[in-house]
Amino acid sequence: MASSVFYKFKSQRDESRVTFDGTGISVFDLKKEIILANNLGKANDFDLYVYDASAQQEYKDDSQIIPRSSSVIVKRLPSSRPGKGKAAMYLSGTNGGTHTPTSDIIQRPGGSSGLWHKGAMSRRFDVKEEPSPTSKLA
Amino acid sequence: MADSPTLSVTLLGAGQEVGRSCCVLQYRGKTIVCDTGVHPAYSGMASLPFVDELDWSTVDAILITHFHLDHAAALTYIMEKTNFRDGKGKVYMTHPTKAVHKFMMQDFVRTSSSTSDALFTPLEMNMSLSSIIPVSAHQLITPCPGVSFIPYHAGHVLGACMFLIDIAGLKILYTGDYSREEDRHLVKAEVPPVRPDVLIVESTYGVQSLEGRDEKELRFTSLVHSIIRRGGHVLLPTFALGRAQELLLILDEYWKKHPDLHNVPIYYASNLARKCMAVYQTYIHTMNSNIRSRFAKRDNPFVFKHISNLPQPRGWERKIADGPPCVVLASPGFLQTGPSRELLELWAPDSRNGLIITGYSIEGTLARDIMTEPDEIIGLKGNTIPRKISVDYLSFSAHVDYSQNSEFIELVKAQHVVLVHGEQTAMGRLKAAMTAKFKDRDEDVKIHTPRNLETLELSFRGERVAKAIGT
Ligand SMILES: [Zn+2]
Ligand SMILES: [Zn+2]
Repeated sequence: MASSVFYKFKSQRDESRVTFDGTGISVFDLKKEIILANNLGKANDFDLYVYDASAQQEYKDDSQIIPRSSSVIVKRLPSSRPGKGKAAMYLSGTNGGTHTPTSDIIQRPGGSSGLWHKGAMSRRFDVKEEPSPTSKLA
Repeated sequence: MADSPTLSVTLLGAGQEVGRSCCVLQYRGKTIVCDTGVHPAYSGMASLPFVDELDWSTVDAILITHFHLDHAAALTYIMEKTNFRDGKGKVYMTHPTKAVHKFMMQDFVRTSSSTSDALFTPLEMNMSLSSIIPVSAHQLITPCPGVSFIPYHAGHVLGACMFLIDIAGLKILYTGDYSREEDRHLVKAEVPPVRPDVLIVESTYGVQSLEGRDEKELRFTSLVHSIIRRGGHVLLPTFALGRAQELLLILDEYWKKHPDLHNVPIYYASNLARKCMAVYQTYIHTMNSNIRSRFAKRDNPFVFKHISNLPQPRGWERKIADGPPCVVLASPGFLQTGPSRELLELWAPDSRNGLIITGYSIEGTLARDIMTEPDEIIGLKGNTIPRKISVDYLSFSAHVDYSQNSEFIELVKAQHVVLVHGEQTAMGRLKAAMTAKFKDRDEDVKIHTPRNLETLELSFRGERVAKAIGT
């Protein structure tokens, strides 16, 4: 039987669900499913953040597993650099997104938790490991 | 903190960008949201302002400046999909804005429900429409104790207004899109008679100056005429409403004066526009004296003599494309998908044809990209199409240019000026120019250009606030 994780954009009244097989889903896959379900893949102006049901604790590590039947809160916030949103990265490997994962330090909008490290994805997620030299970093 | 309250200004959209206008004002426990637009370069949820950081049940009032989608189209989503209705928030727009907004949203929901990008259902749209409170220009409205506002004419499009908002004595003027030049049908924006503490002003054109109305109209009509003379078709991508009416007034008058053009049809390809013509006719009393006096002489300017509406059976695009020279006004204005895009793809390979971009084109859309006159464009089916069609750009978009905007900013005399609705570079240049101007005159005016979700905390000289509370 398929498992579910329930998610709700912070401002939304109603919950939606993501279904999968197994006892849990990684944060990476959950973000990917949410981006696909809401057709957000083409937009490069935002990043997606996932929090626990109280919206207090962010799931910062994309490899963390969220157990089935959990509820989470999702926020769509401006990417730290305009036009450098990471939505496409979550889709690459599924339908040929062009974004390459990077390992830069990101200032979180709102700044409440300061800096954190967004590492490259582990191999099991099928994402190209080596960041290609990006020409337009400015 | 308690005795020196600050005003928070947070842009959920239109911060260093054009599109999805949405500005949140918070002061002394009150929350007012000005505009709830979508971003035209995106669709579905990606087009929404960054709505997740606001608790919508705390909003006291949403004020919508005008019916353009980048100012109004996220309203249904916010009213019906967030917890807005758990609170006591009210929603306001002017009578003509509400009348046109209804048609715009019916069209919006119809075109988006065919894709996976539908943000809401027609039922939800009707629910939100029925709870919008219509207001008139110059009317004083009090949504809740401690908050009041007055709409002033903004020019731009039918029904557009600015809001002079008073929250516990602090006065904020939010302009929305505005123009300071009287055109063929609208009045120009007013300068409110009260000096606000904060001015939140559009900056679409940055420090650019636009040509005057007469030379612009002349250049436009001669361009259209020359394309017809060389045996071409003229494509004018416009939104169904707003500038289209202005272009129709200009073309109708020009055709009247040029009998050689009488056998050249002007098509206005919009069902939506036909429905809205009734709204235009209803609100003639809000337009300028030129229109009102023609109407008084029983010469209804919105009954066009030389313009034909197109019926909507599918496939008319090809029929017209293969026919003799003609002029077509077709939506959408940014050439994303729809009749204007279809005609462009059909006409692009023939150098006799002409494309005239008549409004501001948002970054990330074909209307913007094609202005660089590329040799090829990519069709919606992914095919490569040679571009031989001529491309010209004339701005009829009814936004202020630099001289009009800077004059208005100086007349309003606010302590704090917040620039919105402009691309980063345009905004940066405007900020630099205005800062220099005020510095020269030794005036202490702060100019801000916040990004989306970068909250501005403004505090005010004590003398000012004390006076406001005393009155
Ligand atoms: Zn507008
Ligand atoms: Zn606008």
